[in-house]
Amino acid sequence: MPGGPRAARRDFYEILGVPRTATQDEIQQAYRKLARQHHPDVNKDPGAEDRFKEVSEAYDVLSDPQTRRRYDAFGPDFRQVPEDVDPEAFRRSRAGAGTAGGAGGGGFGTGFGGDLGGIDIEDLLGGIFGGRAGRGFGPIPGADQEAELELTVEEAFQGGHRSVTLEGPDGRRTLDVRIPAGVTNGQRIRLAGQGGRGSEGAPNGDLYFVARIAPHPRYRVDGRDLYVDLPLAPWEAALGTSVGVETPRGEMKVKVPPGTSTGKRLRLRHHGLPHPRGSAGHLYAEVRIVVPAKVTDEERRLFEQLAEVSTFDPRRR
Amino acid sequence: MGYALVLVRSASLNLEAFARATGTHPDLVRRLVALDILDADRDAGGELWFAPSQVVVMGRVQRLRAGFGLNYAAVGLVTDLLDRIAVLEATLREAERPGR
Repeated sequence: MPGGPRAARRDFYEILGVPRTATQDEIQQAYRKLARQHHPDVNKDPGAEDRFKEVSEAYDVLSDPQTRRRYDAFGPDFRQVPEDVDPEAFRRSRAGAGTAGGAGGGGFGTGFGGDLGGIDIEDLLGGIFGGRAGRGFGPIPGADQEAELELTVEEAFQGGHRSVTLEGPDGRRTLDVRIPAGVTNGQRIRLAGQGGRGSEGAPNGDLYFVARIAPHPRYRVDGRDLYVDLPLAPWEAALGTSVGVETPRGEMKVKVPPGTSTGKRLRLRHHGLPHPRGSAGHLYAEVRIVVPAKVTDEERRLFEQLAEVSTFDPRRR
Repeated sequence: MGYALVLVRSASLNLEAFARATGTHPDLVRRLVALDILDADRDAGGELWFAPSQVVVMGRVQRLRAGFGLNYAAVGLVTDLLDRIAVLEATLREAERPGR
């Protein structure tokens, strides 16, 4: 439940990043800074909302000198300690309960009885925006969240499922994200209702995964088009040939016409990324003429012979 | 043709329906329209009509108000700035994209 007590609570001072001796001004300053940083409408990161809530809750307690004193004296369970309890007596009783009941939170109730006198923790902690800010605003829908999802070219081509783990209010949650075949860079995959939590029954926001296609050693991606290098020997480029080109679907034969120079793009129609509701992108093999770093005597003789015979001048204007 | 208008209307919410959908008071909604924080169309009879997307806008207004204690004029400024930043960030991401 939003605002409910959590299993492992962090120290409020630690949450705000201030020492226990901090002044009210320092506490306020730390809170304002963190709130601006983590507000779910400013920060789309799925973890931001929980940090914002944590920060608000910490501030709610530490900004009021009286609750702060009680927090300092009684720790995270201070709300369950009756008003008239002496801090010293509490410390002694807790030390006893701690050894008897074992370490860990929620154990001290043994000393003071489990009855909280009808205090509703939910009510005390407020809704999604925790504490003072959350009261009196009625139901507030959750914010949309955004996370980046890095995909390989192969995943974008074939589609599939990806298991994504996110930090959530109740610990980690693992989501199964269906990646549609032909997803492109920047495209958003929507998971309805998986975003920020709404308060008081208001609807949750949506979670969007923004697809980011990772750099690939072989393919360059532009929209749905793919580009690959096609290295050719000078004679292959001059005479024409048929060579194998790697595509996400496997190797394809490409016909290189005679007289092909570096920079020429050979198009493999619709062999780029698929389009769920249209025609697929193309795959372009970009010709790059490569010469041997070392030539044999025989090759040298033949190149020299070619140089003598040929009238071709690549720099002729 | 009358029914073209009806089609548009069916996707829109009138003031009462919008207030209900967002859990807010119609007076507040009217005020936010006057502050140009919510977008609404006014029909010939002067009634306000809201696109469903405005429900999400209202949620953000409520969260910003609750989270920072902003007044509504400030909420308008903040939402404008957040929208502009979102556009700039998207453009930046597009420009930084590796590849071609």
